This record gives sequence, C-alpha cells and structure tokens, in this order.
Amino acid sequence: MSAGFVAVGWNRRKLVYDAVVLACMAAFIGGYIVVAATLKPPDGALGWIDLRLKAFGACAFVMLTLILCIGPLARLDRRFLPLLYNRRHLGVLMFSTAAAHAAFMVEWYVAQGALANLASELTTWGDYARFIGFPFKVLGIAALAILAVMAATSHDYWNAFLSAPVWKALHMSVYAAYGLVLMHVALGYMQSERHPLVPILFGGSFVLVAALHLASARREALRDMAVVQPGGDWLTVCPPGAIPDKGARIVMAEGGERIAVFRDGNMIGALSNACSHQNGPIGEGCIIDGLVTCPWHGWQYRLQDGRAPPPFTEKLATYRVRLRDGVIEVDPKALAPGTAAAITV
Amino acid sequence: MMHKHRLAHRRLWPWLAVALAGLFVAALVLRAPPATSALLPAPQERAP
Repeated sequence: MSAGFVAVGWNRRKLVYDAVVLACMAAFIGGYIVVAATLKPPDGALGWIDLRLKAFGACAFVMLTLILCIGPLARLDRRFLPLLYNRRHLGVLMFSTAAAHAAFMVEWYVAQGALANLASELTTWGDYARFIGFPFKVLGIAALAILAVMAATSHDYWNAFLSAPVWKALHMSVYAAYGLVLMHVALGYMQSERHPLVPILFGGSFVLVAALHLASARREALRDMAVVQPGGDWLTVCPPGAIPDKGARIVMAEGGERIAVFRDGNMIGALSNACSHQNGPIGEGCIIDGLVTCPWHGWQYRLQDGRAPPPFTEKLATYRVRLRDGVIEVDPKALAPGTAAAITV
Repeated sequence: MMHKHRLAHRRLWPWLAVALAGLFVAALVLRAPPATSALLPAPQERAP
C-alpha cells in the first residue's frame, strides 16, 4: 500500500521473478539467433541486424501474449497468482524488448545510409488506403507508443496519482497495443515469410488469449448467476455457514457491481469487490491476520469498515448486511468508503 | 453509470476480438505471391 513515493519496493520475490524473466528472455533471444543463423546463415552485417530485429520482435510478442494470459489464468487457477504479483515488471521488460526491436529496425536503414527511405515509407499516404501494403511499421510504432506510456506509469506513484480506476483504464490499452502488434505482424512479417508455422503460431497465440479471457469471463458469469437471488431491495446471498470461513461469496448487484461478502468466524461483512490498488478481485482473496487480503498484491482492509489498517489510508465501499430467516442478505446500495457495516451472527 | 459503462465494455470486447480475427485472416488469405513481398524492402525499391 502506498503512503508515499518509493522508487521500487524490492523484495526477494521480485528479484527472483525478474531474474527468471531475464534468464528466459536471454535464452529465447539467444536460442532464436543460434537456430535461425544455423538454418540460414545471415548475409553480412545487414543480415545480422535483420536477425536481431526478428529475435527481439518475436520475444516481445511472446512476452506480450504471456502478459495478457496471466490475468485470466490467475482467475481460473490460483496457482498462477505468483505470475500476476510482479506483472508490471514483466510489462516494462517487454516494452524494453520491443523498443530494442524498433531500434534495430532504424539501424537497418542507417547501416545502408537510407534513413530517408524509412520516412518515405511512413509518408507514402497512398499506401494507407491499401490493406495489403499498408505501412505496417506505423502499427508497430503506435503499439510502442502505447506501451511506452504504460511502462512509464507502471508504478504505484502513478496509480495513486491517477486513481485506481483511471490507471486501470489507461493500462487496459494494452489490448489496443496487442491488436496493433498482431496486425503489424500480419501485414509485415507474415506477408513475406511463407512458412505455415508463422500464421499458426501468431494466430494460435491470439486464439489462446481470446479463449482464456472467454473462459474466465464465463466462469465469473456462471458464479454470479449461481449466487444472486434478487429478493426485494436486498440481495439474497446464502446461509452464513455457506460462506467459507476466512473467505467470501461474490454477488452481483443489478448494474454489474460485484460485492464480496466475507465471513470471519461469526462476523459477516460486505465490501466492494474491487481493490483500491488495481481493482483486483478482493472477493477471491481471503482473511489473513484478521484482514481481508487482495489476492493480487496483498493489499489489506478491515472487514468491519473496509479501511486499511494504519498507517495506510485506503478505504473500500461497504454494504449493509442482515440475517433474515437464516439467510444473509446484502443491501446493494453502497455506503461511503470506510463506513462500518459488518454484523455478528 | 460506471458499472453500465463496464458492462457495455464487456459486450464490446468479443466483437473487437472477432474484428481482429477477421483482419488477421484477411491478411493471411490476401497475401501477395512470395516474389513480390518483403519484410523490409530494400531502400532502392522504395521512392526516396
């Protein structure tokens, strides 16, 4: 939780995470260059630049695909949560790899003293009206610009400065960047490289990302449908014993707001399901040391009133709960963040 | 209001994914013959 600006809060888990990512990146790029150079030796210095360009581009694409898969994977299976913990570092490293890919592209032109040709490619306006032949490098540049903004704001300082909803909305533009990158590949590399594996791998990665998102959305929708029973103004949840101790049931109010109803022994409380850090799904977390703990990055709140323990100041909206005929009900009208509303049953 | 906005987004995403898949397939199907395409066209092939 943020009480002020700290450059980077390093800990052992983050160091191990980053070391593993860097090792995997080095193995991928090194392996790509060795295999490609063995199969088809590069033709002079220009060929080596082209090979580096492709190796870094492929690595950045794989990293971006992995980043987009982590969110739904973590929702489908909690064992993937450790990947999500430090996803922002992965994003910054992916941007660095993509930036290196762009730098090699510029180097390719500079090596021939033909940088003006790059400008010419990007400003041949007639090509923008074509589909095949569209200046695909523009798509890559646009994606890189989006990723640059995201990398520059990948810090809790910006999260706090912009507020969680704005920061989250800004970082959802990663999907726009992914679309641009996919078309950058489809209208660029895929047009010249005829091996059938190329469309299979790139198209397959898109199918994987889409399928995981659909699966996680479907699971969430099914869970909401299974729990919500509209009953008058209040939402019927379930008997207290049906809420796992130190865990939660999530209900969805009319309009889509998700409410996490937690049980800690005989205390029942309802909080907004969106963590104030990055809108993480609070209701998929658990109660640790008496505090509701977000599964994404461990931000904590008191069940009684949705307030983070001192010295932290974050607050979640709470909801009134009541026990009626042996069943827990929730008033879907949110109370002001930090309002005490939990009950003992 | 925000939640309605969020729900609208949920309905929008699948259509965006379908559109992207369509563009990808179109780029695959409409590929030019190998001899006339190149990843990085040689500078001399382009107008200065």
